[in-house]
Amino acid sequence: MTLAALVLFAGTLMMLPLGLLLRQGLMVDGLPSLAPLQDALQSRSVARALWNSLDSAAVSATLALVLGAGLALLVGLTDLRGKAVFTFLILIPMMIPPHVTAISWTQALGPSSPLLGAIGLAPPPGAPHPLYGRGGVIALLAVQHMPLVFLVVLAALRALPREMAEAARVSGAGTTRLMTRIILPLLMPSLLAAYALAFVSALGNFGIPALLGIPGRYTTLPVLIWQRLSSFGPSMLADVAVLSALMALVAVAVVLAQTWLAARSRAALIGPPQPPMQLHLGRVRPLVEGAVVALVLILLALPIAALVGTALVPTYGVRLSLQTLTLANFEQVLLRQSVTARAFANSTLAAGIAAGVLAGLGAALARVTAGPRGLQRRIGRALAMLAETAYAIPGIVISIAFILTFLRPLPLLGLSVYNTLWIIVLAYLAAFFAVALKPVSAACLQLDPALDEAARVAGAHWGLRMRRIFLPLVAPAAASGGMLVFLTAYNEITVSALLWSSGTETIGTVIFNYENGGYTTLAAAMATVTVAATVALMGLLDLLGRKLPPGVVPWRL
Amino acid sequence: MKSVALATLAATLMILPALAQAQDVSGRLVLYTSQPNEDAQRTVDAFTALHPDVEVDWIRDGTTQVMARLEAEFAAGSPQPDVLLIADTVVMEGLETQGRLLAYPGADVSAYDPALMDPEGHYFSTKLITTGIVYNTAAPFVPESWADLLRPEAEGQIAMPSPLASGAATIHMVALTSHPDLGWEYYEGLAAQGTNPQGGNGGVYNAVAGGEQMFGMVVDFLPIRAIPDGAPVGFVFPSEGVSAVTEPVAILSTAQNVPAAQAFVDFLISPEGQQLAADMGYLPAHPAITPPAGFPPLDQIQLMDFDPAEALENADDYRLRFVGLFGG
Repeated sequence: MTLAALVLFAGTLMMLPLGLLLRQGLMVDGLPSLAPLQDALQSRSVARALWNSLDSAAVSATLALVLGAGLALLVGLTDLRGKAVFTFLILIPMMIPPHVTAISWTQALGPSSPLLGAIGLAPPPGAPHPLYGRGGVIALLAVQHMPLVFLVVLAALRALPREMAEAARVSGAGTTRLMTRIILPLLMPSLLAAYALAFVSALGNFGIPALLGIPGRYTTLPVLIWQRLSSFGPSMLADVAVLSALMALVAVAVVLAQTWLAARSRAALIGPPQPPMQLHLGRVRPLVEGAVVALVLILLALPIAALVGTALVPTYGVRLSLQTLTLANFEQVLLRQSVTARAFANSTLAAGIAAGVLAGLGAALARVTAGPRGLQRRIGRALAMLAETAYAIPGIVISIAFILTFLRPLPLLGLSVYNTLWIIVLAYLAAFFAVALKPVSAACLQLDPALDEAARVAGAHWGLRMRRIFLPLVAPAAASGGMLVFLTAYNEITVSALLWSSGTETIGTVIFNYENGGYTTLAAAMATVTVAATVALMGLLDLLGRKLPPGVVPWRL
Repeated sequence: MKSVALATLAATLMILPALAQAQDVSGRLVLYTSQPNEDAQRTVDAFTALHPDVEVDWIRDGTTQVMARLEAEFAAGSPQPDVLLIADTVVMEGLETQGRLLAYPGADVSAYDPALMDPEGHYFSTKLITTGIVYNTAAPFVPESWADLLRPEAEGQIAMPSPLASGAATIHMVALTSHPDLGWEYYEGLAAQGTNPQGGNGGVYNAVAGGEQMFGMVVDFLPIRAIPDGAPVGFVFPSEGVSAVTEPVAILSTAQNVPAAQAFVDFLISPEGQQLAADMGYLPAHPAITPPAGFPPLDQIQLMDFDPAEALENADDYRLRFVGLFGG
């Protein structure tokens, strides 16, 4: 039953749209063919973009893994102070849309930077921007996706029973030994999942390479797809379909590698979610805390200061001072434009529905995939792979595929979802399923099937086993998956890019439209408001979190 | 009594044609446009004030997004819009060769420069968005011509949009490289100056306004609108002339509401519609309308020669040559 529903879901929302899109590109004389793919690989620009995509995704995911997992270990295992606040803050960079991150960092480190200017370190006017090119793209991708890694690893740490760690401590193992022999091996499936998530996220990212890569002549596949889109030729859809197929292949390869590695490092555990361990940092604690504060300041304060600074001047390029300071942009965005309120309502609704549905579907699919039965498991894996493919393909391609599929009224029902908020919700469900799946399937891999079998032997039926054994064990992971979906969808800009219409604007499209119309300061004001709204929303979640099981809200420790 | 009846009859007869016309255009009109939000709203408001029975559903997005959406709708076999107000003549020429546009030969274009309109009436230019030079007020000199950008002081200080990302940049490249005094040597010179084409016009403007680069090739309205707000930039119409994109309006061959679409075209190229474009801060295409503050009079702006059909035909060659000079 569960499986049938999952197959239906993936069939209509992923298989069909992607299939219709690929048909545009991979058909020669009416027959499916791989020849267009081979032709594309012969092209120097495609080969170079493919290489740049792999390079930036691999390196940035490594950096994100080191940083994110390191921070998660600090928060999850040590007696660091102020963990809740820190966890809250570290999630914020992810909530700023990638192209806004890129803009604010370019402003923060460019020749007109008020911050660097104040300490005399600003590059001279006309000097090449330090962030343009490979280094900048990789650094910002790592910053953008570090919170993803952090959340996945933190959820896994919480599911990690303390018995083994405590046994090791009692037997006299030092911190290093405890880490290398117990904690890290047990975390391996989650670390792999986190790496794969950061890799695929970076692969599909458009905002950062578009703004930093193009001027640095470092073109990645999503940027190349964008350039093909703007060529407006009749072959445009076919070109885009071929490049998307290429990205899908890379994503499939990554998931295969991850599954293979995870299967070899699987370690079954028994235990409910638990409060974090408290390894004593001892004398280094102030040092570590200082480093963490510095990191938050750099990752958060710098871009946000640049963003707010831009939102407060009358037009871009004017220096912020008491004379030039104005609230006109905020007034325009908050009071005069009715689209602002509508966009917030639409994004909250669409992202909220997607998060709720995907948290549930993710848990269901993870259960099927981790289950004992051969066929079910293979189908589950195939679905997970499909989800990963949909996630890796740039959002704008997903929106094209959705237009191809849902432009005409739905068969049987006679209703059309085109130009309604529902088509955006459906696209979110397809595009972000992989995000929800990652933490929960990693958690499921750690589940010991013995628990379920014991309950089955004791006569517990399926519903009872779900309710009493499976859900309590995976709830924190499923919830952090849902949260990841919400945060990703809340600010996304590319999936809804072609699907919105008047009345169904999303936050991302509004920011993009301001930016694109030349109203940089209005875009900055809107982005600032978005960050503030997200923080408020997280505060609300915090209040709700008191009633939820432990571990569901990540920063409630 | 009789005279009153006669007068009434006469008045009715005079009103009748107007009434008939107003009754003709009604119903739903779907518009896809790349005008900025506020401008699109004003255009639609002014049109519906004139034709209150028409309900306009409009979608505003970046040119690339609107065209991608439209291509996908073509592929799915059900294009939604009746009328497009978007981009440039090259894009329209492309749609025309695919048979996607409906000709409207009855439109009154007598006042316009014939180079701005399709001879068969498939599309109509609605304004002139010219590409000139923006400079930061901290720049070492104020440029007067395109050739000035090749001066040694400008080395490494030039921002330009990429024809791979921007339609205006494509037209600009075609116009400049076909100009007898500039040609491809000029673009080779720009490459030798270490110029890095980056994205679209917004990025170029921000790079110059933010002081990352001192000079930029950019569309006129971005700096001209921002200068009164105190942006540290200036804008020059170079002496060799400027290229222009004209945001044409066109009716799709699949349009559901042709009368309303034709009324929309009529409105945009009427003096009132052109005055509206000027009020929004654009250079009107109609020679009798005074350009907005910050622009020189239309007869002082020299437009470079440009043939959209030729540009469309050789688009790939131009792109390849550009990529050869500047890299992808």
